[in-house]
Amino acid sequence: MTVEAQAAEAAGEPAVEAAEVRRAIEHYYEQGWTDGLPVVPATASYVEEFLAAVDRDPGEVLASMAHLNRECTVKVAAINAAMAGCRPEVFPVIVAALDAMRDDTRARGASRFSSGLWQSTTGTVPIMVVNGPVRGALGFNSQGNVFGPGFRANATVGRAIRLIALNAFGLVPHVLDQSTQSNPAKYTCCIAENEEESPWEPLSVEAGYEATASTIAFMMMRSAYHIEARSALRGEQVLEDMANSMSRTGALYSETTSVLVVVGPEHAALLAHQGFSKDDVRTYLYEHAACTRGELERAGKMGVSRDMRWLVPADHPDAIPGAAPSFVPGPDGEEVHRVLGSPDDVVVVVAGAANAGVSSIVELMGSSTSPSGRGGRRVPVMGEIGPTP
Amino acid sequence: MADGIFLERRGVPAVSLCTDKFHVTAAAMARLHGFPDYEWVEVPHPIASLSLPEVQSLARACLGDVLAILGVPE
Repeated sequence: MTVEAQAAEAAGEPAVEAAEVRRAIEHYYEQGWTDGLPVVPATASYVEEFLAAVDRDPGEVLASMAHLNRECTVKVAAINAAMAGCRPEVFPVIVAALDAMRDDTRARGASRFSSGLWQSTTGTVPIMVVNGPVRGALGFNSQGNVFGPGFRANATVGRAIRLIALNAFGLVPHVLDQSTQSNPAKYTCCIAENEEESPWEPLSVEAGYEATASTIAFMMMRSAYHIEARSALRGEQVLEDMANSMSRTGALYSETTSVLVVVGPEHAALLAHQGFSKDDVRTYLYEHAACTRGELERAGKMGVSRDMRWLVPADHPDAIPGAAPSFVPGPDGEEVHRVLGSPDDVVVVVAGAANAGVSSIVELMGSSTSPSGRGGRRVPVMGEIGPTP
Repeated sequence: MADGIFLERRGVPAVSLCTDKFHVTAAAMARLHGFPDYEWVEVPHPIASLSLPEVQSLARACLGDVLAILGVPE
C-alpha cells in the first residue's frame, strides 16, 4: 500500500489504489473485451447484484446466433451490463430486449437478430426505444439531446448490447463484423419516448400494451439524420421535408426501405393540431416518399438483381433483363418510385425537447416488401420489461 | 462459408467463394464451425462493379482452384 493510502486509511477514509483500478481497466483492454472505451471491471460479487435484479436462471440462454455457434446466457449478459457501466436495476431492461429478440426469432423462424445482419457491410446499429413508467424510475432521457450523451440509463443500456455483440457473439470489427464504415450510433443507441409531450398514444400502446406497462422496442438502424423544419406553418410542410429526405437514392440497396420517425414535440404538436394522427403521418410518408426515374437512372439503380432484387445499373451483369423498380404517377406529373413498401414501414415515436422544429429520420433495415422478409411492420419487435428493483 | 461447410457435412460437394477483402472473416467463420482447414476460393475485390466480360474472365481464371477443391482431375 502506498504512503498516501496508508495515511488515508489511518484517517478513516476508504483506501483505494487508483493504480490498481486502472490496472484492472487495462486488463480488459488487453483481453479485447471493450468497445474502445474503458469498461467497469466486473467482479463475481458485483455481477451477483445484476443477477439478483431478475428472476432468471443465470445459465438460461437469452439470445443465440446459430450460424456462429454462439449463445448469450443471463450471466454473460449481466457481466457485459456491469462492464457497460449499467446499474444493476436496469438489467431487467436488457433482459427484456434480448427476450424480445429471441421471441421474434422463434415466431418468424428466422430473424434479423440472429442473422448475419449484425455482421453485414452496412454496419447496422441496434436502436432501442423505451416506453412506460420505467423511464422515470430508471432515469431514461426522452427529452432534449435524446440521442446524445449525459444520461446513464440511455448510455449504458445501449452500450451493454454492443458489448454483448462483441464479447458474447464475437462480432469484432475486421473479423466477424464486416462493417464497411458503420455509423456513430454503434457505440450506444437507446432512447425513450417523450410520452408526456406527445399528442399521440405511445408506441407501446399502439403495440397493444397497457399504458401502465414498461416496454422496450428493438430495431436495426442504418443511420439517422435531421429534419430541420424550424418555421413550417403547416403540418404538410414538415411531412414533405421528411418525405423528401427519406426518398434519397443512397438509402436504396433494395427497392424499398423502412424508417423510424422520431418526431420532435414541436412538430408533433403542429401535426396533431392540424389533424394528423400517427396513422396519417404513416400514410402521408408512404405516399410521398418517392424518388424520380431520373434520380434512379443517374444513381445507376434502374436495374433489379436476380434473387435478392438489389438495385443495380440496368446494364449490370446481375440485372434481370427488362426488370426495373416500380413507378406511380408523381405530384409534378413525372413518374416516381415509392421508397417505402407500405405505411407499415413507418414507425412513429415522439422524443426530444419541445424547443425547436427539429425531428429525425432513423433509417431501418429491410421493409415489408423485402425478399428477405426481414423488415417493416407496423409494430417493431417489442417486449415487456419485468419488475425492476 | 457456413453454407459451404453445411453442404459438405451433408455430403453435397460445395466450394465457397469470396473476395479477398473477406479473407479474415472467412477464416474466422471456418474456425467457428470447427473446420479450421477448410479450403475456399478467393477472388480479387470488388466484383459487384465488374462488367459481364470481366466477371466471365474472373470465373474462368478461378475455375481451376474450384475444381481442385472438388477433387476433379483437370
